Amino acid sequence: MKLNYMKGRFKLGLLLSFILLLLTGCWSSKEIEDLGLIVGTSLDLETDTNSREESEEQEARNSNKELITITNQFVTSETTGSGPKEGKKQQAYKNVSETGDAVLPTLRNMILKNDKRAFAEHSKVIVIGEDFASTFNLKQTMDFFLRELEMRPSALLLIAKNHASNILESNEPSKIPAFQLVEMMKGHKKTTKIIPPMTFAKLEGKLYSEASFLLQSVVSENDEIKFVGAAVIEGKTKKLRGFLTGKELEGITWITGKGKGGLVTSFYEETDQPIIYEIISTKSKIIPHVDGENISFNVKIESEGRIAEHWVLSEKTFDNKFLKKAEKATEKEVERLVKNVLDKIQHEYQTDVSGFGTRLRIEYPKVWEKVKKDWDQIFSGVPIQCEVNITIKDYGTSGE
Amino acid sequence: MMMNSQDKITPSQAVVILVNYILATGILTLPRTSVEKVKTPDVWISVFLGGIIAIIASLIIVKLSQKFPEKTFYQYSQDIVGKWIGCFLSLLIIVYFFTISAFEVRIMAEVTSLFLLEGTPTWAIILPFMWIGLYLISSGINGIARLFEIIFPITFVLFLLVAFLSLGIFEIDNLRPVLGLGVMPVLKGVKTATLAFLGPEIMLLLVAFMKKSEKTKAVKVVLVGLTIPLIFYVITVVMVIGALSVKGVVTRTWPTLELMRSFEIPGLIFERFESFLLVIWIMQIFATFTITYFAAALGLAQLFKKNIQPFIFGLLPLIYIISMTPKNINDLFKFGNMIGNTALFLFGVLPIILLIILRLKGGKT
Repeated sequence: MKLNYMKGRFKLGLLLSFILLLLTGCWSSKEIEDLGLIVGTSLDLETDTNSREESEEQEARNSNKELITITNQFVTSETTGSGPKEGKKQQAYKNVSETGDAVLPTLRNMILKNDKRAFAEHSKVIVIGEDFASTFNLKQTMDFFLRELEMRPSALLLIAKNHASNILESNEPSKIPAFQLVEMMKGHKKTTKIIPPMTFAKLEGKLYSEASFLLQSVVSENDEIKFVGAAVIEGKTKKLRGFLTGKELEGITWITGKGKGGLVTSFYEETDQPIIYEIISTKSKIIPHVDGENISFNVKIESEGRIAEHWVLSEKTFDNKFLKKAEKATEKEVERLVKNVLDKIQHEYQTDVSGFGTRLRIEYPKVWEKVKKDWDQIFSGVPIQCEVNITIKDYGTSGE
Repeated sequence: MMMNSQDKITPSQAVVILVNYILATGILTLPRTSVEKVKTPDVWISVFLGGIIAIIASLIIVKLSQKFPEKTFYQYSQDIVGKWIGCFLSLLIIVYFFTISAFEVRIMAEVTSLFLLEGTPTWAIILPFMWIGLYLISSGINGIARLFEIIFPITFVLFLLVAFLSLGIFEIDNLRPVLGLGVMPVLKGVKTATLAFLGPEIMLLLVAFMKKSEKTKAVKVVLVGLTIPLIFYVITVVMVIGALSVKGVVTRTWPTLELMRSFEIPGLIFERFESFLLVIWIMQIFATFTITYFAAALGLAQLFKKNIQPFIFGLLPLIYIISMTPKNINDLFKFGNMIGNTALFLFGVLPIILLIILRLKGGKT
């Protein structure tokens, strides 16, 4: 009996000592107070020669090589509410910049001036400066971001006009610019001037194909961040080719039919007063035609919407004749937008950023195999017909 | 090991074992390996064809095994081709089984150390995994079958959940055109796709474990057991290519995990879903590891007509050493291809030869 009891005791003791092994807590835990969460990153070409001299390491190797400046936007326990509050309002973020010749070494150098451990799992947005994008091939510079495990492929990529680091500044101390950009991107459902978000997941496919594509461009004016049109990235070089204005971007959105909302302002023929058409739905069809060597496209755009506002005093929306005239005016305006941007991307930039190549690939895969190498060039000489069909379905609560 | 009379499994358990064996590494890498070969969005057709080929091959295996309802391959191969050749063939298959189990262990270690346990040494990931596997298989086929019955529904539900959550970034244009460049590209991918369906060879042993009255259901088991992975694979390939496009898939080491990392759904309790996929995937790897480990140990036991326990323990260090042999991940993928090619011969060609020999012999006597 006694022996049995002892045996049980021994077993229990053994079990308990094994449990000790499980109670050691989290092995590689990182306290959130010690982390610096990177929420946004900007990349710029370094033009300042002073900083070039400062970075001794690079100088020894190649002083003519272009340097890059990376700014990380950190959110730490001190910048958020729980930190010390001493009268004056503290900024919600902290930007740290560093210059170097490749992405990771530069990022690592930030350790030298930052007390927090950088943690990029929550990185939301990467902003690239104009100069940077037109100097470097994106395939090379984005390599780190596509390879690094801590960077999630759901992060957004934007192109900044002028300096990218300005985008990550805000004069409202309570706001975090990186988060602001992500929220602003959601507006693409309400306007045709923002393109559907380009995340790294989508970027990868674009970078490794020959295709040209668009990236949302953003500018900082008087400390205000604003989306302005889009940046054109050329397929072959993967460098920035130029920018499209907001109006031109509207044309692209009409061609691709991805507009989920937005307005078209046209002017009433007789009195030159504005009529505002609001999109409810758009559908576009790019129909390629191949006749021997000749490729041509028909773009059919159909849209339904409503009159959201009109300043024409002499007419009433109760009158179908007026609606017909308004439809005509809107169609004309959309056609103008489309023709305008086609002229620009075909003749000035010579890049296909509006999905004509994709349609050709789908409808005529054999032809596409032949032309895909020089598609941007061929595209610049391709005739494109455009047909717009607008239907006004309602006019809100006023019949005036 | 002499077979215990209680070591019997039901047809549904057989299905679950088969499904859990087949689903393994392929879920994470199939989109890449097949797109590399096919180069057009028609990969899903290749996967489909690969599945059908696998079903045909496994029907042959079942037919062979049904000729000897009470015996496993290790026992009946000697009846067909004589003692020595039979022993040799059995040994080949035993080597195949423990090599594949070593391969699975290593892949598991690579992925976990990359995505989950950064900085943990490889041996520290592998050893507990193997010990638990050892514990499981020492209780025989019944224990394995019962555990797999728990794993399977979890896999099923979580997998469909994460796959369909990724619909938000799905673009149908990435999957078009269908057969744009004809059927040739599709055929190029069939072999790779078939290799993702490694697993039906377990039927060489499983039929012997099925209840006498239910042996005829083995054909049904194979059909169901292969159709489920087929559906899983087609969904995986379609979702991954739809979101990442053909060009984007080929550059990713683990495309399916990449897909899960590419979207976040705010508002739900969880915003990120790759850990779900990793959970079910590790369970699947564990399943594949244990069943192949068991198959190898059983083979040795039956070959030498001894108890299975010492062989289970004896194989453990061997599997560990093999799993640590590939130097880096490229070597590992090559190693995997090698195993696949061996399997094509062992389980694609060999059963047919054996069946023919059997037919010829049967004609004489």
